Parts: sequence; structure tokens; C-alpha cells
Amino acid sequence: MGVTEELDRLYGEALGAIEAAGDLAGLDAVRVSVLGKKGSLTQVLKGLGALSAEERPIAGKVANEVRATIEQALESRKSLLEQDALAAQFTAQAVDVTLPGRGRPVGSRHLISAITAEVIEIFLGLGYQVAEGPQVELDYYNFTALNHTPQHPARAATDTFYVRDMTGKGFDGSVPSDALLRTHTSPVQVRAMEKQDPPIYILAPGRVYRRDIADPSHLPQFTQIEGLVVDEGITFADLKGTLDHVVKAIFGSERKTRFRPHFFPFTEPSAEVDVSCGICDGKGCRFCKQTGWLEILGCGMVDPNVFGYVDIDPERYTGFAFGLGIERIAALKYNIPDLRMLVEGDMRFLRQF
Amino acid sequence: MRISMKWLTELVPVSVPVPEFVDRLDMTGTAVETVHMVGDAFENVVIGQITKKDRHPNADKLWVTAVDAGEDALRAIVCGAQNFEAGDRVAVALPGAVLPGGFEIKKSKLRGVVSEGMNCSAKELGLGDDHDGILILPEDAPIGTPFAEYAGLSDIVLELEVTPNRPDCLSVSGIAREVGAVLGVPVKLPATTLDEAGPAAAEQCHVRIEDDRLCPRYTARIIKGVRVGPSPSWLAERVVAAGLRPVNNIVDITNYIMLELGQPLHAFDMGMLKQGLDGKAEIIVRLAAEGEELTTLDGTRRELAPRTLCICDLDGPVALAGVMGGQATEVSDKTVDILLESASFDAESISRTSRQLGLISESSMRYERTVDRSGCAAAADRAAALMAEIAGGEVATGLVDVFPEPLAERTLTLRLSRLTQIIGAEIPAEEAASILERLGCSVEKHLGGAGARPEGRPDDSSDDRPGSRSGDYLDAHLKVGTPSFRPDLEREIDLIEEVLRIYGMGQIEPTLPAGRERVGLLTRGQRMREHVGALLRAAGLSETMTYSFTDPHDLELLGFELPLDECVVEILNPMSVEQGVMRRTLLGGLLRMVSYNQCRGVDNIHLYETGTVFWTAPGRRLAKERERVAGVLAGSWNRQQWNASAQGLDFFDGKGVLETLARDLAAPKFKLRPTALPWLQPGRAAEVLVSGDVIGWLGDVHPGVLKKFECSGPVIAFELEIDRLIRSSVIERSVVEPPRFPAVSFDLAVLVEEKTTAEQLVQIITSAGGKLLESAHLFDVYRGTGVPEGKKSMAFSLTYRLPDRTLTSKEVEAVHSKIVRKVLAATGGGLRS
Repeated sequence: MGVTEELDRLYGEALGAIEAAGDLAGLDAVRVSVLGKKGSLTQVLKGLGALSAEERPIAGKVANEVRATIEQALESRKSLLEQDALAAQFTAQAVDVTLPGRGRPVGSRHLISAITAEVIEIFLGLGYQVAEGPQVELDYYNFTALNHTPQHPARAATDTFYVRDMTGKGFDGSVPSDALLRTHTSPVQVRAMEKQDPPIYILAPGRVYRRDIADPSHLPQFTQIEGLVVDEGITFADLKGTLDHVVKAIFGSERKTRFRPHFFPFTEPSAEVDVSCGICDGKGCRFCKQTGWLEILGCGMVDPNVFGYVDIDPERYTGFAFGLGIERIAALKYNIPDLRMLVEGDMRFLRQF
Repeated sequence: MRISMKWLTELVPVSVPVPEFVDRLDMTGTAVETVHMVGDAFENVVIGQITKKDRHPNADKLWVTAVDAGEDALRAIVCGAQNFEAGDRVAVALPGAVLPGGFEIKKSKLRGVVSEGMNCSAKELGLGDDHDGILILPEDAPIGTPFAEYAGLSDIVLELEVTPNRPDCLSVSGIAREVGAVLGVPVKLPATTLDEAGPAAAEQCHVRIEDDRLCPRYTARIIKGVRVGPSPSWLAERVVAAGLRPVNNIVDITNYIMLELGQPLHAFDMGMLKQGLDGKAEIIVRLAAEGEELTTLDGTRRELAPRTLCICDLDGPVALAGVMGGQATEVSDKTVDILLESASFDAESISRTSRQLGLISESSMRYERTVDRSGCAAAADRAAALMAEIAGGEVATGLVDVFPEPLAERTLTLRLSRLTQIIGAEIPAEEAASILERLGCSVEKHLGGAGARPEGRPDDSSDDRPGSRSGDYLDAHLKVGTPSFRPDLEREIDLIEEVLRIYGMGQIEPTLPAGRERVGLLTRGQRMREHVGALLRAAGLSETMTYSFTDPHDLELLGFELPLDECVVEILNPMSVEQGVMRRTLLGGLLRMVSYNQCRGVDNIHLYETGTVFWTAPGRRLAKERERVAGVLAGSWNRQQWNASAQGLDFFDGKGVLETLARDLAAPKFKLRPTALPWLQPGRAAEVLVSGDVIGWLGDVHPGVLKKFECSGPVIAFELEIDRLIRSSVIERSVVEPPRFPAVSFDLAVLVEEKTTAEQLVQIITSAGGKLLESAHLFDVYRGTGVPEGKKSMAFSLTYRLPDRTLTSKEVEAVHSKIVRKVLAATGGGLRS
């Protein structure tokens, strides 16, 4: 058998073996047995030197072609087998994506603080700042400077929590003490106006206290946000525009507002604000007691008497004030069936938000 | 205030439908709380005619009737009464009717015969006690007509919320006036013609007021020879519609006039009043003297406080002025002569008495909001006339009227410029004037230019005032005389409110304030508080809210000792003993929540609260208030998962939470130091330090405390002064460039005594490591096999690096062996291989 025939045979055998290799290791064994140092093709190539000068170039050319073809076949077979191996690996590593993820603890925000923050956010956009005041307050700030008459019923010990005054002096009046738990956030108005000259644009969120027995719709402690604006040129129309904006920002732009005249000692004119019922769209249903409206806040123009207590010229400056109950918003927006849930600390309730 | 529409419409025409009327009242400041349909009880009760009367086939005493109730077909109704004949007209309750007492009528079978309703007796209709038979109506009663309508029992009663500034609205007349103004219709108030006879009242009684500030007016009328008895039905009905109980004709008349005119009246049995030597009944209005007592109409014997205003005769108090009459002088069946009081008392004094005695009456409720003293005489006349008419008495000539200082008419100036300045929209002067006139004011219009400027207003302050349009409009004003029944109209602003209220708030176009010089920004503290909350939530804690008040025993339960110069803030009138003081720490409330959750099978608890704690000290009026943030952890972070085990939370989970805070806020020198606190378990208690200051504590809650709060442990808790944490935090900090040169790391495991702390080791390592040591990271603490009893192995990974060049191995080896040497020397420990 001549060299050329030998090469032909080797070529045929090698291609067969490559095709037959089932995995990368088998393929490599084929490579070694053909192209390795002791490989069949290598042996043939080594033997080329012994050929005559005429035969050598022809046989060399054939041998190189054979080698190149075999190498190419090895390469393509290898890439094919690699793909197979990867596919097998992927199959083996596949996961059930419906299994739960590895849990990370993450906390939730209390509804009341979340709503408070939301309202503050709205007013920051309108150029307000946040003011604070004490929860244990003087009668003066909670009532007197807010134009409450001495016999105003809210002052009664049946309505307001009084705390022991530690000055040792007995308080001479019809109420048990001069110090009390504030019944609204409005005293912050007075403190702010004492401290600061107009223009004043403030928001005062905080806890307030009233002697209500805790039941599904009352808590003896709840949260209010007070707003106060004092500036030149502030009008009732501005009050309407501001609250209209705020109510829509909280409840949705499709909701309507209405202002009903009311009475508060420290504002005049005063109003209560209703938002149209979101359940019946104002047509009247059980949720809104057939009225189509839900009461959400009280407001009014700052009474000139209040300006008198803080020495602001009521002819030059006018202002408005309003008070929003956060629990009320929470109850309306989140359908809380019982306000007591807010102070029970049940993880199953808290984690919903 | 309950207002009967029947009564109201006698005084003022209401032509709009009720829902619209209610809306108009709502939108002008008289909130309608409820609309009661009186006669609702008779829904589905109609007039029917019995066309046929047959014996019940299965019962001797029952009848089967065929009733024409104005429907297409006759109804079969089984009936047990015996007092009727075919042809009688009766009240028929159809299925669906709910009779007084809640008896619901249904279609049913009685002894095998279907009955489609009920022929009613007077008792079943709640109209009387007659149960002997069914109610037979007159022959002309129209068949098919609702019974309530036929019997005149249908009325609409509005329950109105009257705000404290509107005492005038506590009467039907007052509401009628208000309605007249709102609807723009004329009002016809009741008028009286009074026939007087006999000796003058002034000759039969004498009235003396000791302090006319407390009693600005007292009038008395005398009605002689009355017959006390039940009221006629129209009168009783009116009284009932207003929510009062009929008593007798005299008392019902006083109540009726009070409801009609708003003037409380009191009728004394004149025969029971002590007469003076001159034979006159003596009425003295004075403050109670020390030790005086009175048994009031409700039968209660009351000791009178020294500042209680009383009506007295010569023997002593006979009535609590403006609050309640006395039992001894009460009108009874035997009463013949009446002394009728119609007076005015000081609002504050009445309110104090009423509150002191815990006694709120229809009368005190009106007096404490101010009663129009100009109306006393008219009310007395009207009541006297009615008594004569109904109880057959004779009204003595003249009114005894002690009225030292009649009310002066009040005149106010309403500047139209001010109206615009407040409202932000121009309401035409004519419109404003018309509104005020409708409300009972007299109005003089001064709409001209110069010269019409109201007195007392400086000229210079006007022109730059916002809302000014033109000189003419600015100067224009109304001179407004306010009626005596509106004591709330005292100032210009009160008139502005009236105009806006009736004009309609809905008519004002909303605007937004055109602000200058304002920016909406939170302070750093406010922003950071928000941020602390966000960090705690990111760390796995959920926010909660507890009551600010707490049990006075809480501090005792916690073993919390107040400093000597401090005390808790005590609530004088708490809702319950358990809410008697303001909290001094947030821990008590949070532990209660742990217990609440555990009781309900919720064991994984991670809660925090930011809130105020309170305390005070002798000499202080107000409390000290501090904002705290506190948290509790119990159970594990998560339930057992398929790919992670549920590890029980311990001290270091709590510390990890605080480290998260400290890292994010870059709190300088954050560290924990062992401490002893009564509510924490010894050995697992630490104070939290930032910049060397204690800002709070962290630890495992003491098992004894957990037991008292009914919690299962372990519970890890912390409490920090949030403002001190925020103040010390470094928000603005310079960037440190990430290292560019390679680091070399070596591990170091040392065997040390149990008492050696991690902090001590790190200190030794870092001080020996100098600037070549970048970090010492503790990665293992081991006790057990290979480690002798009483010792522990602590393994650190030490990283060496310089910022400006690569370290040589010689340098690293030198410093590492120095560290090893120092550590061993300082701890007396050995290396662990």
C-alpha cells in the first residue's frame, strides 16, 4: 500500500472515529490517537522523509490536506459536544422558579404616620414648613388664646384631660388645672405666631387627646394636622383653593369638595369641608349615610381676636387655619372598621401597609 | 334642636322639597343631622273597609274578613275582635308594616286560613290602651289613604345641630327667621292678645335682684285660678315632637313657649311661695348662702355651692336659677295660682352651676348660650294668654318687670373693602345689605366716595391694602344695627361671616395664595427623623403606635426608678386607672404589644415606635417632653423556610439594627458598653454610646419583667433619644477614595480568657498594627472541642494595605508578628492553629 492510500484510509478512519465520539473526553482520545505524538497520522507524516524526491511533495501535500481536514472535523465536533455539555449542565441546574425566594426582613410603616407624611409632602410642595409644639399644653394656648370663652364646654373636665400642675399653686378656676393634654393641634398656631412674624405658612402634625371612650370610631388619643397661613392678602378664596387642592391630592382628582359654614371659636368665617363620597360618587349610599358627602376637616379665616393675642395687625394681615384628622382619613381611605386596630400593634394588621 | 316641619311651616313658607331644604340649611351653617319621618311607624298602614265578615271555619272566636284597602283585589284578613260589622272602616296593617313595639306584619296562616294583614286596635297602633277591639274609623275615612296622613300623624322632624354662637336658633321662631333669610321669604312670628283682669300683679308679688350682672332682667306674671290637667293633644304633640315629655297643661305651656320663642319659663305654684308681711309673694334673685339646700324637681336634694344663683322666697331657695325648679313650689294638681317667671341670667353663671351639679336642662342649655333679654316680656305674655285659654286662668293686670339696664342697640360698620379683603371675591353692596336685612339687621348704606370713610380708620392704611379696587369701593360701607336676638354679632367680622354664609361659600371661586418669601422644607431634624424610621423599616422593623398614657404601675413593673427630682406626669381625670399617667418610656407599651401578638399566636415580632415620653418636676407647670425611638424583637426574622432556617432572635440582632442606624447616620464612635438596668437581663444589657455620650440602651428584657407583662422571651429591646442620635450624626462627610493598591490578608486566631472582650482585642490589634493595618474583621468565635474550659478562640482576618504603594512581604510579616506578640502578651493567651 502506498503512502497516499495509507493516508486515505487514515482519513476515513479518523472522520469515522470523530463522528462516533460521544463526549469531549472521547473526542480528545481520538485526537491523541490520530494527531498525538504517537498518533497514526503523525506516524505517517514521520515516514514521509523516507520517500523519494518526486513522491515527497505530492504525498506531503496530501498529508497536510488530510491533517487540516481532520483538525477541522475535530474542532466542529468539539464545539458541538461543548454545546451539548452546556445544555446538559443547564438542565441539571434548572430551578423551580415558583419556590419562594429567600426572605429578607423588611418592616412596614404605620398607616397614621404614612398618611401624615403624605399630607406633609403635599404641603411642602405648597411652600409650608412643619412646626411642632408640646402635647402637655397650657390652658392659655389650648383655649384662651384661641378665643374660647371661659365657660366653653370643651374646657370641661368631662371632655379634656387635665394634668397635675407641679407649681404647687392651686389653680383658681372651674377646671382642675392650668395644664392639660392638648385637645387639638391649634395651640401650635398661637406658639408659631408668637415666635414668628408673617408671612407664616406652617403645618403642625401631632397627637391630640380628648376624653372619648375608645370604640370603633373614637380613640382618646388621635392625630391631627393643623395648617396656618398668615400673610398679606390671604382670603377665604385662598383657603378654598388650598383645601380643594389638598383634598384632591389625598383622595383623588375626581373627587369634589364643598364648604359648609360652621362655628369654631378661633376662626371666622368658619367652615366644615366635605369630600364627595368615593363609593357612590356623590349619589348617596350607606357609607355616606345617603348624603353623598363625607366630612373631613374644619377650617376658617383666623379670627381677629386670635391675632390680638399674638399682636399681629389684623388690618394688614389676614390668614386661614385648618385641622385635618388623620384617623378620619385613614378610616375613609382604607376602610378601617375599628380605629382601635391602630393602637393594638397586631403584626398582622401593621404588615398590611 | 328638633324642629317639626308642621310647626315651622306655620311661621314660614317652605316651598322647596325637603331634601333641597335640608341641603340649603346645611350649606348655610345650620347642619341637619337627621331627618325623622314621624309616622314612619305607620308605613303600610292604610284605611280599609270591611266588606264581608264570616266565621272562621276552625275557630269559634275568630272572623275571616274581606277588606277593601283601595287595592285591585280584596284582602282576606283573619281577625279576633268582636266589635265590628261589615261596612266598618278600620286601620289595616298590610304585610311589611312594623307597628310600634316592633311587631312586624307578615302574610301568614291562622288556623288554616290565610291572613294578608291585620285590622288594628288603638293599642296596636300605639295610640291608646284600648285593646278591647279594633279601632273603628268614621264612615267618611277615605279608603286606601295612608293612616298616618289621615290621622294627622305624619310630620317631618329635623334634628338640627345648632352651633354655640347661635342661641337664637334654639327655638322654632329663631329657625323660622333663619329659614326666611336663607330662602328669602317672609316670616310670620306668633302674636299675642292678652286679656288682663283683677288686681295688678305688682300688688301681689315683689321681685328683688341682688346682682343685676348675674340676672339682668326678671319678669313675673300672675295667673290666678287655673285648672291643672292634661294638655290638649295639639299641645302635647308639639312638646313630644321637640323631644320633651308632656307633664301637665301649665308645664307644657312653659315648654311650648320656650320651644317657640327660645325663652325658658318657669311656673311656680304661687300658693307655695312664702308671702311677706305685706301679703305679697316675695321673689329674691341671689347667690346661695353657705349651707343652703334645695330639692329639685327631679327629687334630688342638692347642697348649693356658694356661687350658685338661686331664686328664693323669704324662706330660702325655691329654684336653681335657669337650671331647674324646686320640688316644693312645683305646679301640681292642687295648684290654683301661678307665678310665671320669664327672666334673663348670666350665661357663665348658669353654665357653672349646671356643670357643678352635672345637671343639664332645656333651660340651662339655652341660658348658657345667652337668652335675648328683650324677649322676656313677650314670652311671658304669650304663655299667660295660653294659660288663660287652656287652663282657664285669669291673668293679673300688668307685668312685674325688673330690668335695670335695657340692652342698647348695637351698630356696626361693615367696610365693603374689608368684606372683599377677607372673602377674596366682590359681593355687591346691595346683596350684602339685603342679606343682613333678611337676618333682622337694620342697614344704612354709605356707598358714596370721599366723606363716607368710616370713623376711626386711618386713611393711609387703606390704599395699599390687598383687595382694594377703587377709592369709591374702598370707602363704601354699611352701618348695620344688629337685632337683640343675635348677641353673636359683635364685630365687623361677624357680619362678614353672615354675608358669606347666606351668599354661599360655594359661590366663591377658589384661588391659591400668591406667596412670597416661602419655601417648603423640612428641617434637618425632621428629615432625619423620617430617615431613622426608614432605616428601621429597612432593617426589618414595623412601625407601631401606642397610647401616650399608661398604667401608673408600669415603672414599678419595669423597675424603672425616677431620679429624685423627677416625677411622672399625672392625669387628673383619666379614662381609667390603667391610663393614669403619661409614659416615661416607650418600653411598657411595646411589651404590651408583644404580649398582644403572642396571645394571638403571632410569635415573630419586630416593632418600633417613635414617640414622646414625658416627665415633670416640682415647680414645673408643663411637662418635659422628649422624642424617643424604641423597638422590640421576639421570635425570629422569618418563619422556617425551605432554604433558610428560622434562627431565634438574640441580642446581636438588636445590635445589628442599631449598627445599621449608626452606619447610615455615620454616628461617631458608636459603641455599646455593658451596664446594669433593672428591666434588662444582667449580662445582656448595654448602654448605647455615640461620641462618648449615652443616648440609650439595648438588651434582653429581664425574664422577671417579661413575666409581669405576660410575654414569652427572649425579647430584645432598645430605646434611644432620637434627637441626640440625629444631632451627632455626620451627614456631610468627605469621600475616601477606594484603595488602588493590593492588600495582603492574614488570619489570626487567639485563645483568650472568657472575660476578654472583642473590643479589647480589636484595640490591641489596631494599636499594634499602626497605619499598615487597614482592618481587623472578627470572623469566628469558638468554644468547644480543642478549646480549654473557660477560654474561647477569636479569629480575625487582618488586612494590610497602604494607600500609596504596594506593601512588601517583609513589611507585612514584621507588623503581623508584632501584632501577634502584643496580643499574646496582653491577653496571656496562645495562638490557635
